[in-house]
Amino acid sequence: MILEQLIGNLIQGLVLGAIYGMATMGLSLIFGVLRVVNVGHGAFIMVGAFIAWWLFSALGVIPILAIPVALVIGLALGFIFYYSVLRRLIKAPELASLLATFSIGVLLEETAKLIFGSEFRGYNWAVGKITLPMTVLPMTKLYACLGSVLIAVLLYIWFNKTRAGTAMRSVVEDSEGAKVCGVNVEGVYAMSFALGIGLTVVSGVLLTMFIPVGINPYMGGPYTLKAFVIAVLGGLASPYGAFFGGLVFGLIENGSYTLFAFLPGVEPFALTRFFSCMMLLVILLIRPTGLLRAK
Amino acid sequence: MRADPTKYYPLIPVYVAYLAMFLIGSNMTGMWQLMAMLAFYCALGQAFNIFLGMTGYVDFGYVAFLGVGTYGMALGITKLAHVEELGIGIIIIGLALAVVMATLLSLAVGAVALRLRGAYFAIATIGVNEGFRYFIEGAKIWNGSEGMIFTAELNQIFGRETASALSTFWADVLVLIIAAAAAFVTLYYMKSKIGYALTALREDEDAAKVMGIHVTKYKIIAFITSAVFAGLLGASAWALKTPYVFPPEVFEIHYTVEAIIIVLLGGAGTLLGPLVGGLIYGLSKYYLSIVLPGFQLLIFAPIIILIIVFFPEGIVGMLKNRVKGTALEQYVL
Repeated sequence: MILEQLIGNLIQGLVLGAIYGMATMGLSLIFGVLRVVNVGHGAFIMVGAFIAWWLFSALGVIPILAIPVALVIGLALGFIFYYSVLRRLIKAPELASLLATFSIGVLLEETAKLIFGSEFRGYNWAVGKITLPMTVLPMTKLYACLGSVLIAVLLYIWFNKTRAGTAMRSVVEDSEGAKVCGVNVEGVYAMSFALGIGLTVVSGVLLTMFIPVGINPYMGGPYTLKAFVIAVLGGLASPYGAFFGGLVFGLIENGSYTLFAFLPGVEPFALTRFFSCMMLLVILLIRPTGLLRAK
Repeated sequence: MRADPTKYYPLIPVYVAYLAMFLIGSNMTGMWQLMAMLAFYCALGQAFNIFLGMTGYVDFGYVAFLGVGTYGMALGITKLAHVEELGIGIIIIGLALAVVMATLLSLAVGAVALRLRGAYFAIATIGVNEGFRYFIEGAKIWNGSEGMIFTAELNQIFGRETASALSTFWADVLVLIIAAAAAFVTLYYMKSKIGYALTALREDEDAAKVMGIHVTKYKIIAFITSAVFAGLLGASAWALKTPYVFPPEVFEIHYTVEAIIIVLLGGAGTLLGPLVGGLIYGLSKYYLSIVLPGFQLLIFAPIIILIIVFFPEGIVGMLKNRVKGTALEQYVL
């Protein structure tokens, strides 16, 4: 019985993990290129969630079609915040960029509260479900998972086959060297930040397909923390590392939750979060380059 | 060492301000609450500045130390309420517990997180804060997510009237004393070897290390000192003032961010900065909540961004450059 439940939850965890991974790629991309930790990460996920919710409940647009809308809005937000704020903070001490991205997050949250109010919202996109051996999977979750994998693959191709992608990788490797070779480093910074934010906003749409309730201006906080753990799992500076980190994290989260639920006298939900925080610390200490990359 | 009184001149404006806050609060009707709030923000900034300002490390989990301080006082009062002959001593025990717990937590966190630098350190400290909160909730220690309420115990020990005076007056006085003590320690560190070592490591940690400075030792000293003041602050401004403790409240990351804003607004690494930052932040928060209730954060966020981009030195940082070479120089630090 335990085993069956565990396997069922692990399948769910893998599907959720793909979305977690997708939701962290933006964070890793921005850290890899700009060396800035986006502490307001969760707020951008919230923006995507509201886009999906609003398009669906006000205009009847299905969440899949909300993805391009979210991407455009995310890119626009990214360019706006890069040119107005972050451009000036690249060379500043960490404190400045950490506090700036946190403030951007607060700004987005409060703006969302002003427009939509602070109550919890959700939507119901009923497209049926499929039955797997150990568990039942709604089609929306499957679409979200497939969407995440597809976006990750597209990003991989873009990074490796296009000039802009190659320029970005060169800046990650060595920004001074890239500049010497004639790469427009400033442009790469702007594009990476915008792309990172765009990906994050899109992941908000995908996330509501997985969990279509609990949409609220302050929903992003827990996802910021999860994204940190995942990013650190994947090496912090690598978007693909982040994707695989997400898969691993989804499995660990659901697996440990299932097991903690069998312990008497504890709250499994809180303990799962405690467990992921400990994981974060341990990995930061023993393998700051991430679990998946050789040193 | 030769005693040099001019060394302590910069404390004069700080203490004048705290004394003024006390006098305004106790003599003008209706002002005590506002002064108490300002005192809390000044003390928070003053305590956090010892670590953030002097080392340049960003501790996003700072509120955890206030949290354990609150728990220290709460545990002291609830566990010892039945011992009748303690009297006021129970508060002393609570404060001592807060100090011990904050020290232990800061030692544990410091041993892990202070090996990391920059962004990695910041992420690790967020992890510690959240992890500690979820540990309390998840393993159900200290009543787990239900928290602890000890109004009844306080009334039982001191009687209703004294207990009420304790939470509406003496807790705030204690906060002012903590702020003043933190300011003194800040200046003491600044003028001693510790301050020079911390300045060196803030500017360039590798260079400081090569020069033979034991950077880890000084980082830990600043970290623990700052944590102890946070623990005391939690025990007085939170546990004594509002006699309950809930994990989601005392580990709320927004307090850390408020502390960062105060330090940065006033000027990181200066003595006067946290006071100026705390006053400006507290006053604007207070009046905004009257004029535009619910919109404080919406207004604060862009202001903070503007400050970071255009005035990274903070108000006192700029002031320091202005008064250089004038008679005021020795009062502004």
